[in-house]
Amino acid sequence: MVAGPARHHITVCVNFGGHEMDISSIAFANSLILGLSIASIFFVAALGLTIIYGTAGVINMAHGEFIMLGAYTVYAMQTFLGVPYFLCIPAAFIVVGAIGFAVEKSLIRYLYERPLDTLLATWGVSLILIQGTRLIFGSEPKFVQIPSFLSSNVEVGGLSLGAFRIFIILMALALAASVWFIFYRSDFGIKIRAVTQNREMAASFGINSGQVYSFTFALGAGLAGVAGALFGALNIVLPTMGIEYVVEAFLTVITGGGALMGSAIASLAIGEWQSIFALVTNSTFAQFMIFVLIVVFLRFRPEGLISASGKRR
Amino acid sequence: MTQNLYHNKTLQWLFYIIAFGFLGLVPLISDDEFLLNQLATYAVYGMLAVSISLCWGSGGILNMGQGIAFGLGAYCMAMTMQMQTQADGTIPPFMLNNGLDSLPLLWVPFQDTTTGIIMALVVPTAFYLIFGGIMFTARVSGPFFAIMTLATLSAFATIFVDLQAYTNGVNGISPPGSLNLGDMEIDPYSSGTYWFVFAMLLVCTFAAKLINQSRFGLIVRALKDDPERVRFLGYNVAVYETLVYTLSGLIAAIAGCCFAVLTQYVSPAQFNVGFSISIVIWAAIGGRNSLIWAMFGAFTVQGAQSYVGDQFLNTWILILGFSFILVVRFLPGGVAGFVETILDRFTKPEVEPDPVDLKISDAKEVAK
Repeated sequence: MVAGPARHHITVCVNFGGHEMDISSIAFANSLILGLSIASIFFVAALGLTIIYGTAGVINMAHGEFIMLGAYTVYAMQTFLGVPYFLCIPAAFIVVGAIGFAVEKSLIRYLYERPLDTLLATWGVSLILIQGTRLIFGSEPKFVQIPSFLSSNVEVGGLSLGAFRIFIILMALALAASVWFIFYRSDFGIKIRAVTQNREMAASFGINSGQVYSFTFALGAGLAGVAGALFGALNIVLPTMGIEYVVEAFLTVITGGGALMGSAIASLAIGEWQSIFALVTNSTFAQFMIFVLIVVFLRFRPEGLISASGKRR
Repeated sequence: MTQNLYHNKTLQWLFYIIAFGFLGLVPLISDDEFLLNQLATYAVYGMLAVSISLCWGSGGILNMGQGIAFGLGAYCMAMTMQMQTQADGTIPPFMLNNGLDSLPLLWVPFQDTTTGIIMALVVPTAFYLIFGGIMFTARVSGPFFAIMTLATLSAFATIFVDLQAYTNGVNGISPPGSLNLGDMEIDPYSSGTYWFVFAMLLVCTFAAKLINQSRFGLIVRALKDDPERVRFLGYNVAVYETLVYTLSGLIAAIAGCCFAVLTQYVSPAQFNVGFSISIVIWAAIGGRNSLIWAMFGAFTVQGAQSYVGDQFLNTWILILGFSFILVVRFLPGGVAGFVETILDRFTKPEVEPDPVDLKISDAKEVAK
């Protein structure tokens, strides 16, 4: 259950027919590209968490389960309604966003003053979501169908990467751009940033801070849903699949410091290092090395790469 | 009554002694070997809950990776037990299967039982001291510390699975015989072993209680409420945090040793994230601020879980999740907090002296 997404998918493809480059540099270039792919997965997994943590300071332990629900939404829509994959992605956003909204309205908003308790309560939520899903869909793995052109492999001069992984990288860029737009170029974004800086002051200027928190939480949950829609196709869909992503997502957010840019840089750094370590040792040991590096990093910079609020933890 | 009975120290100790008296009498009532082993395992869970109550309830340090000390203690103990059954110069069979032909350096200390048991206590405690020291001097606290413990726990699980030649990977270590101390064999299915584990639980709980009531405990509880103020008063907060975290790790390590002796089996499941968080759930439901109620929480939740059986396990986890949310939302003190509130009803408030009416003229008098 601790296996990261990388463990199942790292297959460094070296094209031995390549004449221009010698094998080791091809392997290295491939692992850099693979690192980019791992980074994009980490980033997509951490995006919703970043928003929820960066705005409301809530550590959402149910984030992995929101990812899982996104994957199950896609599975259910494909199997029972026959919806094409590309339409399932926004659907996962809406469905999981609505679930997140309900969770915020019924539980989280009572706990904003007690950060440790939100962490525990959301763990309770994740238990219920895992178990509820298991009771409805069963424990056996489910599969998400993707269009055939996404299941091919793209090879350029000895470098190779699955088309779906390229799609995830593109999605990561698109999602980052949309979140950036929402936060820095929309009215809602101004409200979010105002509430993040000073809740009381924002409220006295007529911003409904409770509502801003609710919608931010729903947005974060919806992004987790999108992540689930992508990971469900990359991996098998299981009620417990969220746990695979949640620890890495948390590490990305903490290393990044809670800001959007911080998470982007942190996921890129973690992904590339993990891929390079994996080339030298193996992917499990690479994960271990990453953990150690992050602990050492946080010793010297506990506020993370880019601190969202400037507050000391 | 002008004082809430819940806060009466004499009554608290009386309650502890009566509760432990009952637990100690169990082998006299029943000699069912399976039941005794089962109850001794619950005592191990009780120790874990006590250790969480010490660092989370008293110190406010939410530790979601208590499985680290528990697992390390259990592994060291199982390695000691494994080496006891090995004839001189032979190595455990799984090492042969993984291509090792001599005992790795990592295993050498466990050839000797005394060194092995000392290692089982020292290794986890030293790890907690170093890890806690790094984290707390960097002032990582609150939810971030919780996440870091969780991540470290995952890292341990990963590495124990990965180092297959040394740890037998996911299969774990199952020593073929029970632990021998000198000429004595510790049969996990005997009343003697029950009493031994029970005594460990008693020592850990009473020691933790004494720590809580000491001056050290007072400062630890103060830094839970406001670490900045404690820092301004001149205390080195990081030292106190690291110490209470390490002490809780020591208790968890003892629990791990007992667990390995009782079950004669360890695996990376001891480093399972879900298991470590369920320790927190026991303490939260029982009452994080009270050692003994946290212990009761462990007994109740684990007891109920084995009572409902595998058939209703699915529904049980749902119930557990809901009750956990309800406790966090409405009863942050758990059952202990509920008892405290009930006892508060029977407490008459002290008659407060009339507030002194200060007038401006008085101030002028003072100023003169």
